[in-house]
Amino acid sequence: MATSRGSKGQTETAPAAVRVPHTRRLTIIAKDPGVRLEGGAMLFARIEIPAEDLAPGPTGYRVKVVDFDATAGRLYKPLQHYQAPDGTLVDPFRADDGEDVGALAASHQARLLADPNFHAQNTYAIVMRILARFEFALGRRIEWGFNGHQLNVAPHAFLDANAFYSNEDSGLMFGYFKGKSGAMVFTALSHDIVAHETTHALLDGLRDRFTEPSSPDQAAFHEAFADIVALLSVFALPEVVAAILGAPPRGKDDGGKIRGIEPDKLTLAALQSSILAGIAAQLGLELDGLRGNALRQSVLLEPDAGLLASEEFAEPHRRGEVLVAAMMRTALTLWRSRIETLGTLEFEGKGGQYNLDRVIEEGAKVADHLLTMAIRAVDYCPPTDIDFGVYLAAFLTADAELMPDDNRFRYRETLRATFASYGITTPGGGRCADDGSWRGFDAALPVNYARSHFESMLRDKDEVFRFIWDNRRVLGIGTRATIKVGAVRPSIRQSPDGFFVRETVCTYVQIANIFGSEVKSVLGVDRPEELETTRSITAFGGGTIIFDQYGRIKYHIAHPLNDGERQKKRLASLGEIDGGETAFDRRNRFALLHAARASD
Amino acid sequence: MAARRPSEVVIFTYQVGFGDCFLLRFVYASMARHVLIDFGTMGLPKTAESGRMLRIANDIADKCGGKLDIVVATHRHADHISGFATKNGAASGDIIAALAKDAVVLQPWTEAPDLAVDAEGPLPDDHQGFAARRASLASMQGFAAELVAALAAKPPRGLSKAALDQLAFIGRDNIANLSAVENLMAMGKQRIYAYHGLAVDLRKVLPGIKLRVLGPPTLKQTETIRKQRAKDADEFWQLAPQRLAAEAALGTGSDELFPGHPFARATRLPMEARWFARRVEAAAGDQKLSLVRVLDKAMNNTSLILLFEARGKKLLFPGDAQIENWAFALAQPDIRALLAGVDLYKVGHHGSRNATPKTLWNGFANRGGQAKKGRMTALLSTMPGKHGNADEGVRSEVPRTTLLKALADDTHLHSTHTLAPDTLFEEVRIKLA
Repeated sequence: MATSRGSKGQTETAPAAVRVPHTRRLTIIAKDPGVRLEGGAMLFARIEIPAEDLAPGPTGYRVKVVDFDATAGRLYKPLQHYQAPDGTLVDPFRADDGEDVGALAASHQARLLADPNFHAQNTYAIVMRILARFEFALGRRIEWGFNGHQLNVAPHAFLDANAFYSNEDSGLMFGYFKGKSGAMVFTALSHDIVAHETTHALLDGLRDRFTEPSSPDQAAFHEAFADIVALLSVFALPEVVAAILGAPPRGKDDGGKIRGIEPDKLTLAALQSSILAGIAAQLGLELDGLRGNALRQSVLLEPDAGLLASEEFAEPHRRGEVLVAAMMRTALTLWRSRIETLGTLEFEGKGGQYNLDRVIEEGAKVADHLLTMAIRAVDYCPPTDIDFGVYLAAFLTADAELMPDDNRFRYRETLRATFASYGITTPGGGRCADDGSWRGFDAALPVNYARSHFESMLRDKDEVFRFIWDNRRVLGIGTRATIKVGAVRPSIRQSPDGFFVRETVCTYVQIANIFGSEVKSVLGVDRPEELETTRSITAFGGGTIIFDQYGRIKYHIAHPLNDGERQKKRLASLGEIDGGETAFDRRNRFALLHAARASD
Repeated sequence: MAARRPSEVVIFTYQVGFGDCFLLRFVYASMARHVLIDFGTMGLPKTAESGRMLRIANDIADKCGGKLDIVVATHRHADHISGFATKNGAASGDIIAALAKDAVVLQPWTEAPDLAVDAEGPLPDDHQGFAARRASLASMQGFAAELVAALAAKPPRGLSKAALDQLAFIGRDNIANLSAVENLMAMGKQRIYAYHGLAVDLRKVLPGIKLRVLGPPTLKQTETIRKQRAKDADEFWQLAPQRLAAEAALGTGSDELFPGHPFARATRLPMEARWFARRVEAAAGDQKLSLVRVLDKAMNNTSLILLFEARGKKLLFPGDAQIENWAFALAQPDIRALLAGVDLYKVGHHGSRNATPKTLWNGFANRGGQAKKGRMTALLSTMPGKHGNADEGVRSEVPRTTLLKALADDTHLHSTHTLAPDTLFEEVRIKLA
């Protein structure tokens, strides 16, 4: 048996080669310490994540927890073992009686909350779960937004009501603070905050230009997308869905009895208010408006096609709420229609009841499905200047690719109608097909495949660049701006017919450093009056090319450099002052409870 | 009739280092009227004599012939009001108070004492909001004071010397200067707490001159945009003192997050934790700096923005107003049109990057090269190396290099930082007739 010496003389033992499970289960707080069951017990869950042999931290192949607290100047030591000597994977904080979900004994709960190692595990497990969700949805390994394999995580970084992803620091930092009640609030214990920050790190890896100054939509998108993934990830846990419907966790010994729920608890309004109560939770109550408010808005915001045009929703955080609201409303509507198909039954003498456990299952299923599609949609987004309508088209395309038949629950139809009710519609100008998805690449166009090699085209950026350069006229790409191929990513997904969908996703950007005076000739839009002719600006164009399994172009989702309408919007929002970003801004870009929220 | 209109305005820009102090003299046929706009410093030029502020107060007394007609305190930052501080009847603030016995004292609505709100204050319909905002500004100043004390006692790791200096500088600027505030609260014959659009009738004091208040907006005026955020902010700042106390307790080990759990000290970290631990320390320092900047900005945004109009000439004094304060005024086309004709611009916030909005600057019709007819004048009171940071990529230095260049190219620029250190003031005359 191989052993190695870790620091401080700890011995790491390699697992015996008996059985290699692909997943393991670890205990986390299902939503956050504020979500309580009847009787006051906190809600826990055991989630399934990729299995690995963990070093102390826990430190694994994609996540490294360093529990350093800058305020206290201490590193809380990792004391847990995640493997038994025989190589069996261990969940060190599992309830003693082996109960998998729901309430834990009060003493056990208290022990977990008081143990920094549990906080560390909570962040590790949730980060890994989100990463696994991305890898599952996109059918390949996903890089972080920084150069490195392991995301550093500080579960107790400092005393501050803040948590953020920092590209510069290759990590996530979670603050803690004293709430109104005087008790410490740990952002690392909030599932949705950990998921939110992890999503920033992943989206930054998939589309690093989404943090450039651009339209108000782009500024809002990172936040909104992180909220969408976080919320759907939380509600994809049946434990959480059960809790918000007021259902106690199923015990081991209840014999699988059917449980009923009144139909009036399942109206759109009733579901809305249940979810609302669920997400108000700890942070919202402790520091009103910082986090809770944004999430509340995502449920409360009523459809209104005029919202995005109003001044109130020009501010990025508020604007993002509109996209999140549209997605949450879609989820509720779909849940409702899936509940309808369940039919009612007589239960304890009362007719018209629904099967509670099936209702819970359907809710978690909807969240899970939308989560997968929300992530998959990113592959069909152009690499620059995202806006909500573009994201909608990408979502519809991703879904249509995998599930051509939308008849059963009408996901895409519902999505489109709901988004439209919030004023989000797919781009015009013939870029989309009738169903709102991207128009496929015109197969009749004379693309030259003869000079590139299929095998290299699957992974080699230079090969893809050559292909783009050779075909620049057909693709409508000019030669004057700098062109960079950002990524070449082969991806494999399973479709419902059992076959595999194999695609290669490539992105390229065009970067043009121009003066105000060149705006008209390069970007195809009149120079805004406030932009001086001598001011130097950077403009972006770019596209995503999806190759099919034969290596032919399936989609070319482009934002040309000279797309006047888009560039006009971007120029208009480039900012009152310098438009320059400071190093300080870069670190704080993803501050969850951004300090800006503490100003007027 | 001509006697009732000024024929000239003389502006004395005092050299207070990093701070503001302007004395305006409106010259009439048979009299003169004097307006003092701000009197404070956060750092005199290195070679300035120690009694500089007193010397300035005496010079003001000379220049105004013993009587100030209007005193303006744009906002309560030390670099704008420290000169109003009193001490045993002999400090610079005591001298000003004596000159201002019959003056009208103009301050932003956020300075209004509670009583004024009940009587004829700025926001008869939003007492709660007003009280919360006041409490929040007071909390910010309390926070600044404790922060400066904490910094002096135990400088946090992970911050560069420059960042620490900046933290301390902004912190000190935000500490409440009680004697100055109280002096202003009791100064003069009439006190006006102004906000955007308030009709201030000063015809008797300044005949032939129209004074417009363009900022700060009231809570009500901005509520459509920021109602919730303002509430969040107030709450946040009210919790801030607790935060510092908790921080101190954890830092000294008198309180522990996880009592009994084994730990390694920051100086004895295992190899695998070191790199990221340093990053966490740096981020923690940044968080602190960000808080201080936020409170600095919030205070700047209580600044009065005043526009004097005399015989078609327009003089703009925006204090330290930043974009959030400006936004309300600049959103209105008629105000933008009005501002296009500005002849003299007191550069906002000592020339920082975010106090001269592009919309404002680009709108100025009278800016242009040397040959420009009726070229506007700009007054800049500043001192480099105090506030902000010119490091590559940071671009927050004050005064901002690019703005300085634009000002020098397109206006008659008078800046205190180019004066000889012993020069007391710079004089600018604008003919009105």
